[in-house]
Amino acid sequence: MSFLNMFRPKEPPTAVRADDRLSLVLSYQRSNIDERKLKEFRSRLIELCDDFGYDVVGHVEVVPQSKERTTIINASIPVRLKEPG
Amino acid sequence: MNHSSVAITVTSGKGGVGKSTTVASLGLGLAQLGYKVCLVDTDIGLRKLDLMLGLENRIVYDLVDAVEGICKLRQALVRHKEFPELALLPAAQTRYKEEVSPAQVKAVVDELRNEFHFILIDSPAGIEGGFRNAIAAADRAILVVNPEIPSVRDSDRVIGLLEAAGIETIDLIVNRVQPGMVRDGDMLSVERVQSHLAINLLGIVPEDRRIIRSSNTGEPVILDPKSLAGKAFANIARRIKGEEVPFLELESATLITKIKRLFHIA
Repeated sequence: MSFLNMFRPKEPPTAVRADDRLSLVLSYQRSNIDERKLKEFRSRLIELCDDFGYDVVGHVEVVPQSKERTTIINASIPVRLKEPG
Repeated sequence: MNHSSVAITVTSGKGGVGKSTTVASLGLGLAQLGYKVCLVDTDIGLRKLDLMLGLENRIVYDLVDAVEGICKLRQALVRHKEFPELALLPAAQTRYKEEVSPAQVKAVVDELRNEFHFILIDSPAGIEGGFRNAIAAADRAILVVNPEIPSVRDSDRVIGLLEAAGIETIDLIVNRVQPGMVRDGDMLSVERVQSHLAINLLGIVPEDRRIIRSSNTGEPVILDPKSLAGKAFANIARRIKGEEVPFLELESATLITKIKRLFHIA
């Protein structure tokens, strides 16, 4: 039976997915971040861009990541300069 | 002996990862190396270490009796028949964790330091009062982790709590590793687990059916010469005493496996 199993298509491996999920879970846990906090963080970043003369022109993404035991908060903010006047 | 005595808490966060199995085997391993070792079971209400060591019929007093002064501490210690260098301070089975405070556990462990080189403290699962009792007297900690998401996440939380309690030396044992599953990409590798937790790797213990046999007989798996997990625990005991011991090769590829790998079907 195991000989026949050798020729059956294999299911996709799951460890990589586990690893990705774990990275995200640990980032949130270590920095005590939740969705409410991230939402507030995003809106403050938009305000900050406004103060510096930028318009936010797309979705602001804030993603915490873990490296060793440090959390890195990555923010992606698509902007353009405000029209003068 | 006080100055050279080391108290190590073995903890995990999540239950069922193999803490008591680890404590029993490491205790015996250190005793076999000639050290005087005391195992302290702080899992009040759910004791296990007595069963792991085959000492369940020899318990008269327990940790709570010693704390409450019902007996002297040495009266509560149960010596192993074959390894008299090894003693167990059992947990109470019919009491509750709240009946003992961290300060009381610390006082007991500090007294044990006068007689033993190593005091291994078996922590209950979770991060509540029982956990705080278990870490109160620890000089260092060993974290037992299984290569699966819930275990790693809980362990990460425990690392934070241990650091907050001032325990700086925290070592990692990755237990119940299945090399075949890792190779197939269905189990987190030891490297990934260590990378996430970012603490020193003390040992890797494979999943081993012989651990069930050892639990059935009350003879820790370290005494089983046929057990790879037993060999892994023996190596960890040597690392605890400061030896540099290479990690075990967990699987030797059979001819069939090699052929399957050649054709990318394994």
